[in-house]
Formats: sequence, C-alpha cells, structure tokens
Amino acid sequence: MNAPIEQPPQGSPALRLHRQLAAIWATGPGWQRLAAVNHSIIGLRFMATAFAFFAIGGVLGMLTRVQLATPKAAFMDAETYNQVFTMHGSILLFLFAIPMIEGIAVYLTPKILGARDFAFPRLTAYGYWCYLFGGTILTGALIAGVAPNSGWFMYTPLSSNVYTPGINADVWLLGVTFVEISALTLAVEIVVSILKMRAPGMSLDRMPIFGWYMLVTALMMVVAFPPLILASILLEIERAFGLPFFDPTRGGDSLLWQHLFWLFGHPDVYIIFLPMAGLLSTMIPVLANRTLIGYRAIVVAIIALAFVSFGIWVHHMFTVGIPHLALAFFSAGSAIVAVPTAVQIFAWLATLAHGRPRWNVPMLYVFGFFFTFVFGGLTGVMLAIVPFDWQAHDTYFVVAHFHYVVGGAAAFPLLAALYYWLPLLTGRTAVYRLSVPAFWLVFIGFNLTFFLMHLTGLLGMPRRVYTYSGHEGWTWLNLLSSVGGFIMTIGFGLVVIDLLAQLRYGRRVRRDPWRAATLEWAMPIPPAPYAFASIPEVETRADRIAPGELARSLARGEGYLGFARNGWQETLGIHMTSGTPEQVIVLPRPTYLPFGTALATAAAVLAMLFQFYLLALAMALVTAGLFVWSGQNAGLARDYGPLPVGRGLSLPPHTEVAGAPPWWALIFTLVADATLFTSLLFGTLYLWISAPKWPPAAAPEPDLLLTFAALAALAVAAVAARGSLRAGAAGGAPQGWIGLAAVVLLAAIAAIVALIGGVVPYPREHALGATAAALLGYVALHAGIGLLFLLSNLLRLASGRISPRRTLDLRLSRLWLDYTAVTGLVAFGLVLALPALVAMLGARP
Amino acid sequence: MNGAAPPRLLVWLGAGFVVWSSALVALYAVHAIGCAFAWRADLLRLGLGAVILIHIAALAMMWHRLATRPVGVTDGGTRDFLVTLSLWATIAATAATVLILGPTLLLTTCL
Repeated sequence: MNAPIEQPPQGSPALRLHRQLAAIWATGPGWQRLAAVNHSIIGLRFMATAFAFFAIGGVLGMLTRVQLATPKAAFMDAETYNQVFTMHGSILLFLFAIPMIEGIAVYLTPKILGARDFAFPRLTAYGYWCYLFGGTILTGALIAGVAPNSGWFMYTPLSSNVYTPGINADVWLLGVTFVEISALTLAVEIVVSILKMRAPGMSLDRMPIFGWYMLVTALMMVVAFPPLILASILLEIERAFGLPFFDPTRGGDSLLWQHLFWLFGHPDVYIIFLPMAGLLSTMIPVLANRTLIGYRAIVVAIIALAFVSFGIWVHHMFTVGIPHLALAFFSAGSAIVAVPTAVQIFAWLATLAHGRPRWNVPMLYVFGFFFTFVFGGLTGVMLAIVPFDWQAHDTYFVVAHFHYVVGGAAAFPLLAALYYWLPLLTGRTAVYRLSVPAFWLVFIGFNLTFFLMHLTGLLGMPRRVYTYSGHEGWTWLNLLSSVGGFIMTIGFGLVVIDLLAQLRYGRRVRRDPWRAATLEWAMPIPPAPYAFASIPEVETRADRIAPGELARSLARGEGYLGFARNGWQETLGIHMTSGTPEQVIVLPRPTYLPFGTALATAAAVLAMLFQFYLLALAMALVTAGLFVWSGQNAGLARDYGPLPVGRGLSLPPHTEVAGAPPWWALIFTLVADATLFTSLLFGTLYLWISAPKWPPAAAPEPDLLLTFAALAALAVAAVAARGSLRAGAAGGAPQGWIGLAAVVLLAAIAAIVALIGGVVPYPREHALGATAAALLGYVALHAGIGLLFLLSNLLRLASGRISPRRTLDLRLSRLWLDYTAVTGLVAFGLVLALPALVAMLGARP
Repeated sequence: MNGAAPPRLLVWLGAGFVVWSSALVALYAVHAIGCAFAWRADLLRLGLGAVILIHIAALAMMWHRLATRPVGVTDGGTRDFLVTLSLWATIAATAATVLILGPTLLLTTCL
C-alpha cells in the first residue's frame, strides 16, 4: 500500500535546497524558542547554562578560598561555609561537568557522525529543561539560605533527619535526582543515536574515535546513574516517611549509602574524563597534522577503563573498616586503572611526536591538560595504596588530587575544545591577543592553588574545616592557595572577555579553518538547523575525510535525502555495525510539550520538597499523562512502504522496521532500570549481611497467596501483550488483549499494595520491612507504568497509528511487561526468601 | 561498504570485562558471606580460589574462541575489526582478573 508522496525536486541548486530545508527545520522566533527541539540549539543551551553554573560554582569556590586565606577568619560562619562548599562541589559536578558533556555530545555528535539530529529531539529538549529547572531549584535554595550543607556526597547519617533537619538535604536529593534523570534520558539517546544514526557507510571500524568515546561514556552513564538515583530515592523516603534504610539503630546501615553513592561517584570521574579525551583525540591529530596513532588500542583502552572504573568504587571507603583482603583487590584495581589511561596518553604523545604540531591556543590548553591530568593521575595511584590513603584520607591532599584530575580532565580540554570548535559555533576564527595571557593566568593560578593543597594535606589539614587556629603551619600555604585561586579566576575572566571579543571581532570564515578531517566541518558554518543539506556516504575512515569539497557536494544535495519531502524532518537510520542504510527516520517538529512536561515534573519535585505529597502525586500523574499524550503524534499516521532517499536507494520509514530507534531506546532504558533493580537487590542483601540490629525482633511472614496471585497476574499480562501483538500483526483487533492485560495489571497492583500493607516487620520499624516494601513497590510502579503503555496503545490504535506494518507500540508494551514479570519474579522470590535468610542469621556463630 | 557484521558482535567487546566484573562481585560477596558466617579460613580460601578459577576458565574459553575464528568468516572490515578488538579486550580482562584478584588468595581471609 505505497501511498503517493510528494516527489523530491530534481537538480535543486544549493540555495533552493537550503531554503526548503531551513523552512522545515528552523525554530521560530520569540516565544517559539521555548518549543525548540533542534540539537544545535539545545546543545548550545546546555553549554551556555553549564558555563553559567560553572561561574556560580567558581564564585562559591572563591568564597571558600577567601574564608581559608587567613586563620580564624570571620568572613563566613560554619553553617554558611557548609552550604557554600557543598554547593561548590555539587554545582561543579552535577550542574557543570556532566551537563557540559551532554551539551557537547548533543551539539557535536550528530555532526561528527553525519546525522541531521539526535534520535529523540523532544527528549533532548525535555532533558535540557529538567536540567535547567533542577539547577534552578538548587541555586534558589542557596539564595534562600537553605542549600544542602552535608557535603557533595551527602553521607548518612549526617544527611539524615536527625542530624540535618530542615529541607537542605531534601533540596540536594530531589534537585540532583531531577538533574540525573535528565542525564539518564540523554545517555540513552546518545547510545541509540550513535548506534543507529551514523552516516551511511560509517561502519564501526570507520567511526571517528569521538564516536567510540561518546558511546562508551553514554553506556557508562546508563549504568552509573541508577545506583545514585536509587540511593537518593531511598534517603528521601527515609527522611520523608521514616523508612530506615540507612539508620543503624533500626537495621539500616550508613555504609550502604556510601556503596551506592560511589558506585556512581567513581565512574563519574571517567564519565567526565572520557568525552574530554574524545575531544582531545579529535583535536590532537588535526593540530599535529597526522592521523591518530593507536586507534584500535584506544578503543580497547576505553572499554577497559569503563569497566575497571566501576570495579574500584571502594577505594573511596578504605577507612571505613572493610576487611583487608577486599581492600587489597580494590587497591590493585585502583592502581591498574592507570594502565588504560596511560595507553591514551601515550597514543596522543606519539601522534604529536610523529606529526608537525601547530603551536596555537588549543595546543596550549592541550599542554595544560597533559601536565595537570598526569599529575593528578600520579597522586591517584598514591591514594590507591591503602596505607598512604589511610594517612591522607579526608585531608587537603585528596582535595588537591581530585581538583588536578577533574580540572585536568575537564577544564583544560574543554577550553582547548572551545577555541578549536569556536569557528563552528560562531562562523568566526579566533583572534589570539588575549588568549595566551589568559591561558597562562589559568595555568599558573590553577597550579598555585591546588599544588599547595597537597602540602597542606600532608601537614594534616582536614578537608571541610571552615577555619583553623594558625598554629598548625598551614597559614602561608592557605594564603598562597587563595592568591592562586584569584589569579586563576582573573584568567577565567580574561577567557570570557576573549571569547566575547572573538564573537564580535573574529574574522568570518565559511568552513574548516583547521584543515580538519571530520564531518562536522563538511557544512557551512555556523551550521544550519538541518546540519547537512544531504547526508554523506562514508567510504573511508570518517576521521580521514576532506571536508571542503564534500561540503560543497552535500550542499548541492548530492548525498542522501538531498531534498525536502512532505514537510518532514528526515534523517537516515543504519545497520548498527556495518552502517548500511536501513530506514528513513522522520523526526518530530518543534513543540512546547518538552517545556510543559518539564514544568510539570518540576512542580512534582517542588511539591515533594515542601511535603505536599498529594500535589506531588498529582503532578507526577500529569507528567506521565503528558508523556502518553506526546506519544500520540509520534511516528507516521499511515503506511508508506519504501521511500526514495536519493542515490538510487529506497528505504522504509522507521515506523515500518523492526529495529527503529524507540525499540533500542527501550532496551537501553531497561538496562538502566535493571541496574537500579540490581542495586536494590544488593542493598537488601548488604543490609542482611552487614547491618547491625539484624535479625529483627519480628520475623517476616509474606502472604503466599497474595504473592503468587500478583505473580500470576504479571505473567498473564505478559502473555496478553503477546496476544495483542499477534492480533495487531495479523490485522485483527488487539483491544481485547490490551484490556485483559490492563485488568490483570490492576489486579497485580492491588495484590502488591495489600502485600506492602502486611509487611512484617513494619517498614518504619526495621530496614528489613523497608527493603521488602521497596522491592514490592518497585514491581507495583512498573505494573503502573505498564498501564500507561497499554493506554497509549489504545489511543494510538484509535488514531490509526498502529497497523499490521506498524506494530512498534505493541512490541514496546510486550517488552515492558516481560521485564515487569521477570523483575517481579525476582523481587517476590527475594521477599519469600527473607524468612529463610533471617533464620540463617539466627544460626550464625 | 563492508559486509554486515551481526550486532551481537558488539556484545563481545564488553564480554571479557563482564566476566571480570562478575569475578569481582562474586569474590567480594563470597568473602563477605564467609567472614560474616565465620567459615573456616581454608574453606573460605578454597571458595575464593574457585571463584577466580571459574572466571579465568571462562575467559580462557572466550579467548580461545575469539583467537580461532572459523575459516571464511573474515571480511577484512567491520567483522575483523570487532573480533580483533574483542580478543584484545578479553586478553586485557584476563590480565586484570589475574593481577587484581589473584594475589588476594595469599592474604589473611578475615582481618
């Protein structure tokens, strides 16, 4: 049933094509900017907002340096200082570093990989607004004097209700979780876009190294954020409703927070480092005038780095009393993680050594990176050695180390990248009059500030003290560190002035001022909203192309999709490994839905913060409803069959193929979800084996009948989802199957709620009951989300968006309900096993 | 354009380090349970040794499978690229398992 479609214009000149595509892809002026979903706009907004938070975080850092410059300073009292240093760390880690990476990924990745946009533009926009609103809540709390004050890693029991009453800790838990969920959505989007939306012909062995770095980083984010999100939810539940997950007086354990936090926190360092290393691996070959040495070795190294970085979280906990044997293998892992890092460093040095480097401002910052990051890496190896860590733990040595690592890994490569890609962003080349002195001020100031902190740390200065007496021998070191901080700040100020001057006075340039070799330069600069007027066919490794001639050819529409059709925003989907084109992906146009949905989400978060729980529930339901509503216009309203895409090729739209981006997005979402579930299982078993006050006074007695009834209902729902898919694919009416699935899901939820009501011991009295309730609640929540999937199916069936060819919705529901049934089986199994586990504890010698 | 290497080959890129992760988690769990329930030191050490050996055996099998590709499946492109990278990642994971986890067998179990 190939319906007639508007034929592409033949032989379009570049200008005509530009006008046609710009009319489709452009974002409107004024208030319509709130409806923007284009990756270039959202990427720039991410980066600009992250820079604003960098400035706020930097000012807070300077305030701490003013306070510590002299002994017994009265500049800040202890409470203000606690809020300032907590927000300094929280802002720079959660509101600057990670969002900046996301901004770079959103802006650059599609362009480097030869796509017109990301897979889910509305999700990109939703992620940005969640980030902005979450960051605003955190910053607003600082202005109101109720900012988080328990340190950026919020250790319990300090952050519990007992020791931190008020909303300070809640601001962190809710605000950061809000931001992290947005980061998670973007991570899924980055993975799917890299795997499915590269330029045709860009097989994985031809993918630019930046693509590998972003792919591995995004996969790390998918797995790293869930433990922190779970920990934040559990601590917020403890603070709001009294369930004692982390309270050792009621069977909880403060160390469970540390485990869950650092399962996120340590990989987070590499989540920051790897994208920056990707930028370096892209810039260094261009600046060295030769191709990157060790491409394959680097890919293996970043895979190794990704995994090993997860396996060494305990090195942040060397002093908490973990048995020595376990300390030994975490120590060995922490030292060995330097090896894959060194592989990359040596690959870059070899590239520079075998090339003809251009000594310009980006290269100056590359030099700054090498110096600071290697220095920070070496002190990291020192801290990996347990006896040394016991001496230096929680001193300023650690503060110095992580500023060298994060500063080296993030700030210097970021500034190098900013100068390198500024012409792409602005269409102007740089004027370097201020750039060089700005670099040296940043570099000298950075090293003066943080190198001396190694010495103050070795002299015994603990971190997070708000003042000192002056007799410890730290006075001059602290004063010089503060002077260094001001020099660095002046340097950053000059960088800002320099960048503004370049925006105004830089020489206009049309394309590729660096003689680069990647696809983002194969377009007019600054880029048009559609990025590529036509999509290139890649026939060699995509970091060895000549962008100049290719850009002219693509602008004339000589690649794929070099035309406008039906007012659609089209790009291509490919086979994951080979890069063979498989589908035409039709992307959504600008819409206010992401903005509105993020506003509803922010309202839910704020209502939680101020303990209006019914309102929070209502706003959460509004958010879910908006997601279901947003699905109503997704995809195409009828079957089209293969559509011509140019170069003699015809491909089906993404709605009519098996491996469409939403399918893969749900798979990676479930990977993140499963990580959260596994963290919950780990938490339950950790408390069982390690927490004090176990076994509880009251033995658990799960209701077998209700448990098996709930499990049976989940299994029937999964079977009914299969029935609906079979009926939909055969052209029948799947509504009956969907109705059956909905009814049994409601029955499952009712049974689970009854089970939670009967949990023994009572969830507020002991962590055993709390974890059992959390496991059951997890399953109930997923059954509830399953209902939303089914509701969406019914609505889309009614509007003709599902047909025998277009069964993606039904397959997504089936996958979700399968996952719910499997995790339900595991969760119920553990709940049923709890009596036996408790009995084992009773028999312990 | 290269021939289509199946997407499942991507899983092999991380498979070696998934086994490494499994070894680390299993070792940590067996050690924690053994110490919590006061297992005899020699039995606990045996359990830890078994965990490491089972994982090294799995890695060795993967290494062997990747290193001895059937004749005729090479394409000189994406498939070879992915298999070669998977092989080197598996070798790296094996080295990490031996170097990070192996020496712990020599230490006092529950100090």
